[in-house]
Amino acid sequence: MAAYFFQRLLQMIPTLFGVILLVFLLFNWVGGDPAYVLAGKFSNPEDIANIRRQLGLDQPLYIQFGIFLRQVLTFDYGLSWSTQEPVSHIFLTRLGPSIALLLPMLILETFIGIAIALAVAYVRDSWIDRTLTLTTTAAMSISLLIYIIVGQYFFAFVLGWFPVQGWANHGQSWLRYAVLPILLGLAVSLAPAIRLYRTFILEEMGQDYVRTARAKGLSETRVMLVHVLRNASIPIITNVLSSLPGLLIGAFLLERFFSIPGIGREVIMAVERSDFPVIKAITVSVATATMVFNLLADCAYQWVDPRVKLS
Amino acid sequence: MSERIAYSTKARHEGPKSLASIAWARICRNPLGLFSLGVVGFFLITILASASGLIAQDWDTQYAVSFAPPGLMGAQQEAIPDEVISGTIPPHSGMLDPIEMYGLKDPLQPVLDQLKDQQLQDASLRAQLPILARSPTLFLGADKWGRSVALKVIKGAETSVLVGMASALLATLIGTLLGAFAGYLGSWVDAFIEWLYGVFTAIPYLLLVFAIAAVLQQKGVFTIILILGLTGWTGVYRLIRAEYLKHKVREYVQAAQAIGASDARRMFVHILPNVSHVILVQLSQQVVNFIKAEVILSFLGFGVPVDVVSWGSILNETPNELILGYGWQLMTCGLAMAILVTAFALFTDALRDALDPRMKS
Amino acid sequence: MITDPTFSQRPKLILVLALVRHWLRNHLILLGFLMGLCLCAGVRADEQEPPANRVLRISSSTAETTLDPVGIQDLYSAKLASVLFEGVLTYDYLARPAKLVPLLAEGMPDITDGGKTWIIHLKKNIRFAPDPAFKGKERTVQASDLAFTLFRLLDPALHSPFSFLLEGKLVGLDDLAKRARDSKQPYDYKAKIPGIEVIDEWTLRLRLNAPDANFGHALAQPNLGVIAPEVVAFYGEQIGSHPVGTGPYFVKRWVRGSAMTLDRNPHYRQRPWAFDPGSDPASLKVVEEMRGKMIPAIPRIEIKIIPEAQSAWLAFRRGETDLIDLPSKLSPVALSHGKLNADLVQQGIQHEIAVEPEIIGNYLNLQDPMVGGMDPAHIALRRAILMSSDDEAMIRVIRKGQAVRLSYPVPPGVLGHDSKYKSMLPYDPIAANALLDGYGFKRAADGLRRQPDGSPLVVRYWRTNEGESRDMEELAKRGIDQLHIRFEGHAVPFPDLLKAERSCQVMMRQFAWIADYPDGDDFMQLFYGPNVHANNVFCFQDAEWDRLYQESVALGPGEKRDQLYQKMARMVEMYGVMKISHARLHHELLQAKVMGFHISTIASVAEWPYLDLR
Repeated sequence: MAAYFFQRLLQMIPTLFGVILLVFLLFNWVGGDPAYVLAGKFSNPEDIANIRRQLGLDQPLYIQFGIFLRQVLTFDYGLSWSTQEPVSHIFLTRLGPSIALLLPMLILETFIGIAIALAVAYVRDSWIDRTLTLTTTAAMSISLLIYIIVGQYFFAFVLGWFPVQGWANHGQSWLRYAVLPILLGLAVSLAPAIRLYRTFILEEMGQDYVRTARAKGLSETRVMLVHVLRNASIPIITNVLSSLPGLLIGAFLLERFFSIPGIGREVIMAVERSDFPVIKAITVSVATATMVFNLLADCAYQWVDPRVKLS
Repeated sequence: MSERIAYSTKARHEGPKSLASIAWARICRNPLGLFSLGVVGFFLITILASASGLIAQDWDTQYAVSFAPPGLMGAQQEAIPDEVISGTIPPHSGMLDPIEMYGLKDPLQPVLDQLKDQQLQDASLRAQLPILARSPTLFLGADKWGRSVALKVIKGAETSVLVGMASALLATLIGTLLGAFAGYLGSWVDAFIEWLYGVFTAIPYLLLVFAIAAVLQQKGVFTIILILGLTGWTGVYRLIRAEYLKHKVREYVQAAQAIGASDARRMFVHILPNVSHVILVQLSQQVVNFIKAEVILSFLGFGVPVDVVSWGSILNETPNELILGYGWQLMTCGLAMAILVTAFALFTDALRDALDPRMKS
Repeated sequence: MITDPTFSQRPKLILVLALVRHWLRNHLILLGFLMGLCLCAGVRADEQEPPANRVLRISSSTAETTLDPVGIQDLYSAKLASVLFEGVLTYDYLARPAKLVPLLAEGMPDITDGGKTWIIHLKKNIRFAPDPAFKGKERTVQASDLAFTLFRLLDPALHSPFSFLLEGKLVGLDDLAKRARDSKQPYDYKAKIPGIEVIDEWTLRLRLNAPDANFGHALAQPNLGVIAPEVVAFYGEQIGSHPVGTGPYFVKRWVRGSAMTLDRNPHYRQRPWAFDPGSDPASLKVVEEMRGKMIPAIPRIEIKIIPEAQSAWLAFRRGETDLIDLPSKLSPVALSHGKLNADLVQQGIQHEIAVEPEIIGNYLNLQDPMVGGMDPAHIALRRAILMSSDDEAMIRVIRKGQAVRLSYPVPPGVLGHDSKYKSMLPYDPIAANALLDGYGFKRAADGLRRQPDGSPLVVRYWRTNEGESRDMEELAKRGIDQLHIRFEGHAVPFPDLLKAERSCQVMMRQFAWIADYPDGDDFMQLFYGPNVHANNVFCFQDAEWDRLYQESVALGPGEKRDQLYQKMARMVEMYGVMKISHARLHHELLQAKVMGFHISTIASVAEWPYLDLR
């Protein structure tokens, strides 16, 4: 196990190198030139040249790449070009709201998803199952943008149940602002979750051990809640684990419409301003997190069932 | 897998029934699948009609006043000024009027003097211009330029479905090819493609989109297809690679090798038909995903150019409109998209069930 | 991740159980943690919070960038700087047109030597807001701080976007900056230069290279808010996160890009609310409301960043914010025919309108190989293209009627504006087509026009990816289509657009310029030949025009300069450089409880310190 873990860690190095190379090439080489934005309304070519020198953009590409590598290794990306804020500070402060938004969403999604999926798997092929399949398909077909526009207008403005936008500052309740975005996010993510978990559960229900359990005379409830659920939860957990890092940036629409200072919104702002240090830091960090979480998911899998071949 | 083999032997006994015909028979027995196929078909016919110019060719024409409500809702409360209804071509040309030149000499004066004889001021000539009287209401309403929402949604369907299908094809093609090479050839090819896959899945999707958009520079429908195709192949690749890993050790492949079939032949003539059901299901799933992804790309500013309309470009006009009380564009487009995508997804489910060898027929 | 789809045998249940238990326990801990967070947030009581009805709540659509005055270039950050820092001069709150008044100075500067020497006497006993950088001591503003602030704007290491305010102005300062830039040595803040001399603790003498009527405006910009050297030294490159000035407010709490709380500066001097209303009824009302109050009257300001316009409006309607600068695309929700809707009036919502001191319009690049050139045919082509732009539709459909038609390069409210000027580029596609026919831009078999020599003709319209610019492109395309010329849209990220524009690569674009200071020169310099590759994005170079401009600078504001400006404006139109289209209307809506509001003449100076709440 430890050997496997170590080996996988080693394998992450070339992938990470690929990520770094790709990010560097794409944003340094073909991305916009931030000097023109930073120079302001009244700038002349000397100002531009001066700024490029200050930012190190006049250096040959391989030296810039070397600097980038050092930044990744030391975890010090310097200052944001557009706001002069330390990049590590940007990353750490924006992480909080993103996680406060995503973690409850993911937890609720998992629990509600499992509960509903168990229920419909239990009554599979009945009209309830069919209706739910239809509903989830329809729910999945609506664009997230529509959920947000309509949800914000209706629940926050017309009905006034939630604040229209905003995020908790000091002395205010975090929950007040987070509920509506979480619910809207849930409306989008629940339907695919239910469908996926239903498949996992049905897969387990077809296994021999379920037949054995039934043959032993165990109640159907017990079979479902104890035997099936336990086994189906393995793919579910790994699925949840590996989807977490991607969500960090994936929630940018929610963050923009509800003015939540999260990572996703920050990335869009950084791209709009060609703020490379921020783009690089967030990309590399999220990529690393993705790889680590995938590894954790695989390890969890292996730990539960050693017969899964890990090589 | 034993069921699959059993099934195919059975099929052979029953006579020359292809997998396609069996799948078709199964879909026909699934009323929901058949219905959704009908809905998709209806959309496709509409789209073909619009692509061939039979309908919605005039989507860019300003038929109505800005934000004319749907006919059922009645005209706007406020009176609409005449010049708004009749278009804005001025009845009189100001270009030839004498104007204070502050002592300057206009380099165009000789030609302007010639033009004086051409009766630019002729009111009847100006009246001949094809200016439509703007209608105060419109079937399903109008957008801010006074264009018909109904026509826009039809024309938008054409673009969105084209984008969805073409990018799904591209993504599936890339995913299948890479998956086949990685799974079948193994060794360093596999290692390299796995590395590429690792890199692509590790970079956050949004940044990948930004980056590829930055590389492509150009704007247009083709660019959107490329962005979606180049970022969306990873899921297909994963599945196809697993299939190839499984199939390449099967007896039938080894038999092909024994009779001297080349690697390429074994990969694409022998194995490919046996994994085609996976590809087909992936393909139709991707269409749904990419139609939805186009909306988000539009929100990010990577949408279609202004002479093209898509569902994404329509939906991105709507957030403000809802507050202004002009919800018809959001409703029409949202509904059309929901119906098509739901039907397509249900059809995909039916297709998956029909193609699933483990399903008992 | 499901690594092996054939995995189907019975797993070891005990291990699974352990995993599930572990998982549940983890989640329980998390849930507990989150609940604890909520509780903590609810219970937490801060020291000496002002009551909620004494807090001004504001929203901004863009996030602040930095609060180092020299680093600021966006309006919102500049507004923040204007309440955190103070310059030597500022603009009178009520006076229209804008009028400079002393702020940190005792009075207006003594100008001698034909306008080349400025002597500034600072007020005594102005204290900086308390900050750890001062090590617990009270710190008063001195002439050396002002000198440091002026030096700092040209520090090459800071590459201030507003360095133009002082560039070429003060004797010896540019050489100092140039030396530092060329030698890559640190910029010498201690250098003795004739341009900036500290006379005594409270007096500073400035020597200008040439008389400059607009130098006072430079001294009133938030970018020249006075800052103390020890604060800059203390925070180093973090200075943008630690604004310490003499302004009426200081930063109490700050969540970057999301929210900011400003509290009244405890060291702020006694400054009575006393402005001359003149005869303007709106000003008279404001003076009546604020009689006898002090600046600032409101103990706390809370600002939230709300990027999406509809979110900002919904928040205002729900009473979550007190002020909103209503975006024109949303204006129909609140206004009809320029008047506030009845339901809003009933709720006591107040409304103020001002014309933004800006010009917006399409331009063409005079160095472009397709449409550039000073030969009559291409002048005619440019004029025809500009005449195809339907400004009325632009105002009515895109601005929702919330803009004023404009054709003069100097907008209203700015010195040098001419309200009687008549444009020679009306919207008239028929006449424009006749002009193109007259100059040999013939239509080929595909119905589209070619250059007179038969080569292809394409109009490439550039824009950013941002929302409203798409509408502008749609309108431009409708116009160009009417001329039977091929149209290509070119949407690029903002940094790319700027780069292309500054290197004369952009063929056509909608351009906007908002006043940095309320003088026509801020607009006219845009067309000045030597500013090509800088502000002259039109790449327009004409010897006669440049001569007139130099003359206008020497003249300074006045009737004579106005006459030159008229001629220069006509030349800009005559050569088909730019067609000024409109300036937006600024609609500020205020909740009933807000008192003392009058839209600032200069967008970068915030109104907040002059307000009170009922």
